[in-house]
Amino acid sequence: MSAYLEIINLTKRYGATCALDGVNLTIERGSTLALLGPNGAGKSTLFGCLLGLTAPTCGEILREGRLVANEDRNTFGYVAERVALYPQRTVDENAAYFARLKGLPVAEAARQLNRVGMHLVGGRKVRHLSKGMLQRLGLAIALCGQPELLVLDEPFNGLDPALFDALQSILSEESARGATLLVSTHTMSAVELLATHVAILLQGRLAAFRAVDDLRAEHGVNDSLETIYHQIARRGRTTGEVFA
Amino acid sequence: MKAGSATVETQYPVNTKKSSATRCKVANQHGVSFVAQVMLIATKEFGDRFRSGWVIACVLVWLGAIGLTSFLGLLQIGQIATQGYERTVISLLNLVQYLVPLLGLLLGHDLIVSENEERTMRLVLAGGVSRTRFLIGKLLGGCLTLAVPLLLGFIIAGAVIGLAAKDAGIASFLRLAISGLILGMIFLGMGITISVLSRTRVQSLVAALLTWCFAVFVFDLIALSVFVSTKVPAAAQEIELVCDATHVNSSVDLHSDFDNVADVPARRATSSPTASLGWLAINPIDLFRAVNLSDRLEFRVPVSTTLFAVTLWFAGTLGLSLWKLRRTDL
Repeated sequence: MSAYLEIINLTKRYGATCALDGVNLTIERGSTLALLGPNGAGKSTLFGCLLGLTAPTCGEILREGRLVANEDRNTFGYVAERVALYPQRTVDENAAYFARLKGLPVAEAARQLNRVGMHLVGGRKVRHLSKGMLQRLGLAIALCGQPELLVLDEPFNGLDPALFDALQSILSEESARGATLLVSTHTMSAVELLATHVAILLQGRLAAFRAVDDLRAEHGVNDSLETIYHQIARRGRTTGEVFA
Repeated sequence: MKAGSATVETQYPVNTKKSSATRCKVANQHGVSFVAQVMLIATKEFGDRFRSGWVIACVLVWLGAIGLTSFLGLLQIGQIATQGYERTVISLLNLVQYLVPLLGLLLGHDLIVSENEERTMRLVLAGGVSRTRFLIGKLLGGCLTLAVPLLLGFIIAGAVIGLAAKDAGIASFLRLAISGLILGMIFLGMGITISVLSRTRVQSLVAALLTWCFAVFVFDLIALSVFVSTKVPAAAQEIELVCDATHVNSSVDLHSDFDNVADVPARRATSSPTASLGWLAINPIDLFRAVNLSDRLEFRVPVSTTLFAVTLWFAGTLGLSLWKLRRTDL
């Protein structure tokens, strides 16, 4: 089967700093990739390149064999690490605006708000929302139109246990629907059951990219994702090299 | 793979449980039309400004300014009455040339940088809206926000002046309204360019105010000094006529024309028309003054020059903004 997304030799430099250094990834449709790495490893930069927010210095990203274009991004959903919406507008208005920008009816926004439990506060202005509510609203906006690809940048940060569970369950539903998920997180337990594949970025370089089962077979069947990640990260720090 | 390799490429098998692409229903495969996205962004921008009170405040300020200028403008000759259109235009020239560019710059300076600082632009662009559409939508929204109060002010005040002063000579007032609107749009375009080039709202605001000061005050002084120092008397006189003709230059005291009608021909005779006015295109404010003073000062800015200058300013600011925005990493 052909790849859904191919990231080929992706490199991003900011002056002397290399945020991404020749990253190659091939992602099949319907898989869930957990993107792990310390702060500043290049996870958000990778997402930025994929979403057209950051121009790569070199390399390319293909969707089903063609360069990703703006029109393709209509079929992507994105939850930012810090959900930023229009504070003077209400929950309903924000959701409707972003749905309509994607050419979707307002009813679709209402359906997704209902799904994440935000329909009860639809008339509340965004500036009066708690962090958890903002996160849920961001998720509802990302889910509008049943996206092919969901890109979630640290979605579990700062969530209380109930919201944490709710988010996990929604992501499972999306995965079951056939959506491809890219999740960057420091909360590895959150993606332990969800992820089919793991990529570890260290200092802009891809240190590991494996199916979860293969990774476990390599590093220890009973080890948690977090333990495996720390083994790889420690080895990376010690050798100063990247490896696969 | 050996240690030290910079890249890892692994194509992994699909999870059969989840791989059914047919189950992934996608509502929108073909993108949204240019017009739909641009209009959506523009109407949201206008709606936000309307709610914030910006539009209402502008309407009130503008109506108040025109009303006071027209109704109290005759105080200097000891009368309380409504001025006719032509005299109102002369009185309004200073107000328009100072206030409208400032409104345009203040409106435009945070259109892009605020969305960048608040990080809302990331979500809009990540959803498949191109930067060109985003910029044009914001510009259009800004134009609406500027045009509505200006036009409302001109229309209401124009109607009241026409009725109160029983004046039918509305042509000069219409010219002032249209050229004032275009002047505002040009400075809105400059404001957007400043907004795209700035990293923070504060930086953008300072740049916008400096641009206003330069266009309104500094440019004329520099232009005059250059022409005078290079000993081009005709051009210097030309600049002197157009640069702040209503206040600084006593030889073209236009208010006095109305009060001492007998002197007017003699005064006009001193302002001999000169051939080249191409330099006016550099500063839209001078062009605006020249267009609105053309009858009184007996010279005309060629229509082609005006159109060329306006087109150049619009294309220049929009082109520079697009060029920069496309190269900005968010």
